[in-house]
Amino acid sequence: MKTIIALLKPRLLSSLNNFRPDNKKNIWIRIFIFGAIGLFFWAGTFFACWRVLLYFQSVQDFGNILALKLLTMVVMTFFTLLIFSNIINCLSHFYLSLDLQILHSLPVSARDIFFSRWLASTFDSSWMVVLFSLPVFLSYGIIYKAGIFFYGVVLLAVIFLALITSAMSGILVLFGAKILPAGRIRTIIIIVGFILILSLVMVLRLTRPEQLVNPDSFASAVLYLNSMQAPASPLFPTTWITDAIKDALFGNFQSSLFNLALTGSCACMLIFFADIISQRAYFKGFSKSQTTPERLFRAAKRRFFHWENLLLFLPRTAKAFAVKEIRTFFRNSTQWPQLFLMGALIIIYLYNFSVLPLDKSPIKTVYLQNLFSFLNMGLASFVLSAIAARFVFPTVSTEGAAFWIIQAAPVSLKTFLRIKFFVYYFPLLIMAELLIIVSNLLLQVSSFMMILSAATMFFLVPAIVAMGVGLGAVYPDFKSENPAQAATSFGGLIYMILCFTLIAVVIILEAGPVYYIFMTGIRNQVLTNWQIAWLTGSFIIALLLCFLAIVYPLRLGEKSLKIR
Amino acid sequence: MIQLQELTKDYGTTIAVNKLNLNVSAGEIYGFIGPNGAGKTTTIRMMGGILAPTSGKILIGGWDMSKDPVMAKKIIGFVPDRPFLYEKLTGLEFMQFSADLYDVSPESFPPKAEQLLRQFALWDWANEIIEAYSHGMKQRLIIASALLHDPQILIIDEPMVGLDPMAVHMVKDIFQELASKKITIFISTHTLSIAEDLCHRIGVIHQGTLLAQGNVSELQSIAKLGEARLEEVFLTIIKENTFL
Ligand SMILES: Nc1ncnc2c1ncn2[C@@H]1O[C@H](COP(=O)(O)OP(=O)(O)OP(=O)(O)O)[C@@H](O)[C@H]1O
Ligand SMILES: [Mg+2]
Repeated sequence: MKTIIALLKPRLLSSLNNFRPDNKKNIWIRIFIFGAIGLFFWAGTFFACWRVLLYFQSVQDFGNILALKLLTMVVMTFFTLLIFSNIINCLSHFYLSLDLQILHSLPVSARDIFFSRWLASTFDSSWMVVLFSLPVFLSYGIIYKAGIFFYGVVLLAVIFLALITSAMSGILVLFGAKILPAGRIRTIIIIVGFILILSLVMVLRLTRPEQLVNPDSFASAVLYLNSMQAPASPLFPTTWITDAIKDALFGNFQSSLFNLALTGSCACMLIFFADIISQRAYFKGFSKSQTTPERLFRAAKRRFFHWENLLLFLPRTAKAFAVKEIRTFFRNSTQWPQLFLMGALIIIYLYNFSVLPLDKSPIKTVYLQNLFSFLNMGLASFVLSAIAARFVFPTVSTEGAAFWIIQAAPVSLKTFLRIKFFVYYFPLLIMAELLIIVSNLLLQVSSFMMILSAATMFFLVPAIVAMGVGLGAVYPDFKSENPAQAATSFGGLIYMILCFTLIAVVIILEAGPVYYIFMTGIRNQVLTNWQIAWLTGSFIIALLLCFLAIVYPLRLGEKSLKIR
Repeated sequence: MIQLQELTKDYGTTIAVNKLNLNVSAGEIYGFIGPNGAGKTTTIRMMGGILAPTSGKILIGGWDMSKDPVMAKKIIGFVPDRPFLYEKLTGLEFMQFSADLYDVSPESFPPKAEQLLRQFALWDWANEIIEAYSHGMKQRLIIASALLHDPQILIIDEPMVGLDPMAVHMVKDIFQELASKKITIFISTHTLSIAEDLCHRIGVIHQGTLLAQGNVSELQSIAKLGEARLEEVFLTIIKENTFL
C-alpha cells in the first residue's frame, strides 16, 4: 500500500505545484473559466433532464414507463462511455505513457505499478462521467420527490459502476496487450469507437426523436420505444444498477440494497481478478508494447504516382510544411480516424436539412427559408470552428519537442505561421463552401441569400483559421503527448469563445439590414437612404472585423513565440 | 565568424549566462566546457536563434541574430543537445524537409543526401520512420541534415553523446576536414579528451561567466599547472572560480 501511494505521489505533487505562487500559468483564472463553463453545462444537463421528465409526467399512462426507459438507457450509455474511456486510458496509463520506463526500472513489483496506474486511470476516465451523471439522477430525485436514501444509493451505485467498468477494461486491456502491442490496440479501439459513435448518432437521428413531441405520432412512438427492449438480463451489472436506483426511487429499500450489494461485490471481485491477472500478464504486455508498430500503410516501392507532386504549385517551404503536416497526420494512428467523425458530423448536418418539413409550416416559406439560411450560416460556422479547434488550434503545439527545427531554420516565425495558416485555410475553405452551398440548395434559398452566405463564409473561414493558428501560437503546449488535448486547454477554450463571438457579431451585423431589405421587398417599398447607409456600414464593419481577425492573431502569435 | 557581446540570459530564477563576450574566427574549432548547469546549452540555444537573449548581441557571419535572424540562420548548421525530430517522418523525408527549409537546390539534394546518409551509416534506414531509430541514430541523422546545406558555421551541443566509437571517430574527422575548409565549428562537450584533440581553442564557463579561454597550453599556464591534462586544468579552474 505504501508503495502504491508513493507511486501516485508524483502526479499529485505535480498538480499541486501548479498552485505555487511562481507558476506563470495564472491558475486561478483557469479554474474560474473552466469552473464557470462546467457549471453551465452541469446546470444545462440538469435542466434538460428535468424538463424531459416533467414532460413525461404530464403524459398519462406512459409517464413512468418512459422515465424508466430513459433511466435504463442512461445507465447503459454511462456504462458504454465508461468502458471506452477506461480502455483508452488504461492503454496509455499501463503501457504507453513515457514515465513508465522509469517506473519499471524502480525496485517495485509490476503489481504495485499496475495498481497505482489503475487507480489513476480510473480517476481520469470516470470523474467527468460521474460528475455529469449526478444532475441526471438529481432531476429524477426531484421529480419523484425521493428521500435521502435515494441519493445515497445513487452515489454508491455510480462509484461501483465506475469501479466495475474500469476493472473490466483493465482485464480486457491486460489480455489484449499480451496478444497485440498496446499501440496497435489503441488504433483499433479508436477506430471502433468512432464507428460506434457514428452508427449510434445515425440510429438516433433516423429514429426521429422529434416525433415524440408530435401528438399525432406520439402513441406509436411510445409503443415503438417500449418494444425496443433494452437488454435487461439479470446477469448484467447495468441491470443491477438500474434496479438499485429504480427501487430506491420508489422506496423499495430491501430490493434496492440487495441490488446495490450485488453491484458492490461484483466490483470487488473484478478488482481482485484484475490484480491476479496483472501479476502474470502486465510486465509481458509492457515489454511487448515497446516496439514501434509497423506502418499500417506502407509506401509501395517505385510508385508511378506521387501525391506530393500535386502540391508543386506551392512555394518550396510551404510545400515542405504541407507535405510534412499531411504525412504526420496520416501516420499518426490517433489522428486520422478522427476524419471519420468529421465526415459523420457533416453528413448528419446535411441530413438534418434534407428532412426539414418546410412545406408543412404555416409561416410564410420565403421568410422561413431566409431565417433558416441565416441560422444555417451560424451553425455551419460553429461546426467549422469546432473542427478548427480540433485540427488548426493544436497545429503549432504538434511541432512539439521538434520545434527547435523551426526555430533554428532560416524561416521567420511570420512565414512559419503564414504557411501553417494556408495549409489549413484551403481545405477548410473548400469544406465550408461545400457545406454552405449544399445545405442552402437543400433549403432552396433565394439566390441573394446564397451569394451572401457563400461570401460570408469566404471571409469567416480565414478569420477562424488565422485565430486558430495565432492563438495556438500564443498558448502552445510543446510537451503534450496528445495534440487533441490542446483543444480542451485554456487557450483552446479562449479560442472557441472568441470564434463564437466573432461569428455571432458578423451574423447579427448582416441579419439586421437584410431583414429590412427583405421586408421592403415584400411590401414593394423602396429602400430609404438611411437604410442603405446602415446596410453598407454594417457590411463594412463585418468585413473589417474579419480582416482584423485574420491579421491581429497571427501577429500576436508571432510575437509570443519570439519571446519564448 | 561568431561574436557574442555582453550576452546575458536571465531566466527569472537564475542568470544562466552573464555578460558573455566571445569571438570565434573562420576555420576555428571552439570548444565550450563547464560543469552541469553552467550555461552552455543556454548560450548555444541563443546562438542558434532558438532562445531570445535578455540583453547583449549575437553576430553570426556579420549578421545580427536579433535583426536578421533568417540570414544568420541560413549559414548555420545547428544540432541541439537532445535529438527531438518529427517522429512520424522517415529519415529521408526529414532530410528533404530540411533541404526545402534551407533552400538546398533540388538537383543537388538527392546525391548529397545519399552521400551524407551513407557516410553516417543511415542509408539502410533512410525509409524507416524516425520513431524506430535509436538515440545515436537520431543524433547522426541530425548531424547529417545539419551538413546538408553546406553551412559556414556549425553549432553543436554535445555532439558525441550517444554516438558509438566509430561514429565519434568519423565525426571528429569530418569536423577537422570542415575546419580546414574554413568552416567555423562551435561545440560544447563534457568529453575533455575530445576537446583536447579537436579544439583549437577552449572556453571554460561556470555559472554563466567565462572563466578562461585559450588553447590547452594557455589554459595550463592560466591554471598554473605545467604539463597537466585538461581534466586537471578544468577542475582547478572551476575550483578557484576567479581566473581571467
Ligand atoms: N527553461 C529554463 N527555465 C529556467 N531556468 C533554466 C531553464 N533552462 C536552463 N535553466 C537554468 O539555466 C542554467 C544553465 O543551464 P544550461 O542548460 O545552459 O546548462 P548546461 O551548461 O548546458 O548544462 P549541462 O552540462 O547539464 O547540459 C541552469 O542553472 C539551469 O537551471
Ligand atoms: Mg547542456
